[in-house]
Amino acid sequence: MDIFSIALTLFFIMDPLGNMHHFMNHVEGLNPSRQRMVIFRELCLALVAMLFFSFLGEWLINLLSLSMVTVYITSGVILFLTAIKILFSQEERFPAKHGEEPFLVPLAIPIIAGPALLATIMLFSSTEEAVFTMFTAILFAWAITSALLLNSRLVVKVLGPSGLIACERLMGMVLVLISIQRMAAGVLLFINEYK
Amino acid sequence: MSLFSIALTLFLVANPIGNTPAFVSLVKDFEFERQKKILFREAIFSLLVALFFLFLGQPFLAAIQIQPYAVSLSGGILLFLVALGMIFPPKSSNGEAKKLQEPFIVPIATPLISGGGVFTTVMIYARQEQNYPKMVLAMLLAWVAVTFVVVSAAYLQKILGKRGLLAMEQLMGMMLALLSTEIIMKGAHMLVEAVRHA
Repeated sequence: MDIFSIALTLFFIMDPLGNMHHFMNHVEGLNPSRQRMVIFRELCLALVAMLFFSFLGEWLINLLSLSMVTVYITSGVILFLTAIKILFSQEERFPAKHGEEPFLVPLAIPIIAGPALLATIMLFSSTEEAVFTMFTAILFAWAITSALLLNSRLVVKVLGPSGLIACERLMGMVLVLISIQRMAAGVLLFINEYK
Repeated sequence: MSLFSIALTLFLVANPIGNTPAFVSLVKDFEFERQKKILFREAIFSLLVALFFLFLGQPFLAAIQIQPYAVSLSGGILLFLVALGMIFPPKSSNGEAKKLQEPFIVPIATPLISGGGVFTTVMIYARQEQNYPKMVLAMLLAWVAVTFVVVSAAYLQKILGKRGLLAMEQLMGMMLALLSTEIIMKGAHMLVEAVRHA
């Protein structure tokens, strides 16, 4: 995979447009300048988690002696269930506690850097040889996500509330596609082991 | 191929008539006028999604490395989940008034109307014809009919009544489960082909 594909996939899984309302809800009670500060801090925490996993991914897979088939299928299943929650769940997944400043949980982990994203990063970092590729792709996807989330007020104004829901739904569909593709890739790999 | 035959194929692939029971059961909790509005909106959304695939489908799927079989498999699996919801309706928590959630894009606009079948058909014809204005015209033509059928689904509920609807929902859930499994199997075939050629 090239840098662009990896970055785009990571961007879709970070899902800034679909997660925007979580961010808005969680920082609602704070004053505007503080809001941006908190969002930026959470984004940085998420970035640390992502980079941590991109460096440790391969080591972790070797430590647990996992096969690539396992990693493909597991990350596919986790991503699929996350996407299904986005598409069909009626209740708020991460209800905001009023007047409490979020720290690390739930904005940084799991909303941005959730299990689906971290598993994906583990997978890519073990299939991609070059550390530089992974690093650039993560930074690139993260930068766009940050730009969108830091300006969420503007984004909401441009898209409108139903536009935002539309984006959330379409992103959910894309995530289902990515997850099914990944499970299928795992199955193909599994079958090829018997050839 | 002529404009008309492309439009007809698209109409058949979108299969609004076969999916009518699913539309009815997804919007059944809303007022009649609201139902018509929702269905009309979803029909327009499905056209927009299909148009997106006409122009950007190939590069988009290539960019995130999605193979054709994954498109079929995902569509089929989502439809199967919708069918399960029809056969085993989710229990409404008693006493507590449940907030009605409108179907928005998923599952009516996509994957029910514009599913994997429509995406593939649109992309194949676009490559064959190399004529975007003609394709867009054919799609508009097809969607006039699709929208008509989809919106008139709201009238079906009036004809069937409450009991009739409940009975139909069960039967049609079963039909949709069969149809969706068929789509999944198509995807599985393509997957097996991919294994063979790998």
